[in-house]
Amino acid sequence: MRIDESGAAASLNRQSPSEGQEGAMTRESLLVATLVELADNLVDNFDVIDVLTLLCDRAVKSVDVNAAGVMLTAPGGELQYLASSSDSMRILELFQIQANEGPCVDCVRDGLPIINVELTSPDERWPRFSPRAIELGFHSVHCLPMRLRGRTIGALNLFRNEMGTLNDEDVIIAQGMADVSTIAILQHRSSLDATTLNDQLSRALNSRIIIEQAKGMVSESTQCTMDEAFERLRAHARNHNLGLTVVATSIVDGTLTSKDLDQPRTNSGTTSSS
Amino acid sequence: MSRAKKTWRMATDRLVDIFALLARYEKGGASEGSLCLVAAEITELSGAGIALSSDSNLMTSMGTTTGPATELMDIEITLREGPCTDACRGEDAVEDIDLLRGSTPRWVVYTPQAIAVGARAVFGFPVRIGAVRLGALSLYRDKRGALTYEQASDGYLMASVIGRAILAMQAGASGNALATELEREATFDFAIHQAAGILAIQGFTDVGSALVLLRTHAFATNTPISTLATRVIAHQTSYDSKSAMWSEETS
Repeated sequence: MRIDESGAAASLNRQSPSEGQEGAMTRESLLVATLVELADNLVDNFDVIDVLTLLCDRAVKSVDVNAAGVMLTAPGGELQYLASSSDSMRILELFQIQANEGPCVDCVRDGLPIINVELTSPDERWPRFSPRAIELGFHSVHCLPMRLRGRTIGALNLFRNEMGTLNDEDVIIAQGMADVSTIAILQHRSSLDATTLNDQLSRALNSRIIIEQAKGMVSESTQCTMDEAFERLRAHARNHNLGLTVVATSIVDGTLTSKDLDQPRTNSGTTSSS
Repeated sequence: MSRAKKTWRMATDRLVDIFALLARYEKGGASEGSLCLVAAEITELSGAGIALSSDSNLMTSMGTTTGPATELMDIEITLREGPCTDACRGEDAVEDIDLLRGSTPRWVVYTPQAIAVGARAVFGFPVRIGAVRLGALSLYRDKRGALTYEQASDGYLMASVIGRAILAMQAGASGNALATELEREATFDFAIHQAAGILAIQGFTDVGSALVLLRTHAFATNTPISTLATRVIAHQTSYDSKSAMWSEETS
């Protein structure tokens, strides 16, 4: 699974099509813009958490769902949280890990997509997850496996506020996004022996931990919320063309101080959750 | 839909294996290298060692299995080169799956000495918690060959268990009774990492020391570390560096 660097739209500068105007875009043009932006991100020395957060934001806008999130299997098989489009999705992803129950747990265990499952309370299949999800406003769930050579390395969760079904087209788009997530995690590795694949998974998960450590520092020293801290790290990374993890590492090792971070634009189109 | 387990192993199952094995070795009195014995057994390799790294890039041994693993660790610490040294400094696992192959060894001085003590393939896994680098897990085998996916995965899993063990010991836990300590909080949730960031600022210290601070206070107050972390994030519990005292918000 390789991306031909020369063929991608690398010449586009990192202009996001979002920033407030995607409301006027048709779904097709939003999808094309998203694919171009992802391709642009994936040719550079990109940051996996940043790309996956972007992907979750765009999944919500392109597919008929209200929240999206990516979970990964750590070395050893344990599920871990990587990215999400909203706070409630993050809460439910972390809940699934703790309870060891829910659509993502089943999807990764079986390696099969979960499509159009309506949540009920009480629920036989997910007795603990379903009531919690309903409490947070979700009524149907979908989960697409991130597969690589017969192995499921994670999953893309898509939750809807309403009952009702995703159409076939939405399912195809969603699986495409799950596949892009897989490519993002593999970075530019063309050969993937056993150790390298574990390296990539471990790196992605450790990136997330570095970002959480940096968020704690930024929120405490500038008296802001964790989400605001995340947006400041993200804005600084974008403005200075640095990886999100690179910026977070600089905060943790003290080479960059929280007050020197750029402020995110107040009117930015991103609503993603840290 | 099939609920069959297929090839996916539950992480908790694997961790349960690790903790059960650790408890068995600790009970048997193999205090020195219990974690190393578990690492070697779980990855099905010949031997293991754990190196701690400091800011100045110096390594010290935290223990090894007996035999060649001890010699390999001594060689690395003396020469400051080898898989463990590289893993301490780098991002990824380090390996040479066939030390005898080729005329240009990866480590000029280390490789011939490693061969002389009986190693044919060597591996190093970084031990880290986010941006905090604690050291590396060193593994060797007396036959050449690459790791399978499961072995590499177990190497990483073992490295993460060792990371938490190092924290627990720095926070005062006994090196002979780690299994019960580690089992109690098998997964580090994100609240812990955020709380460590907050405490680093409150305590004017680095995130690594903040993690130890958090762990120590959790021990002292007999509170689960994730509960304490949640309180720190909510500013219900905070740390004052001047007095070196914790304070609780009274509500």
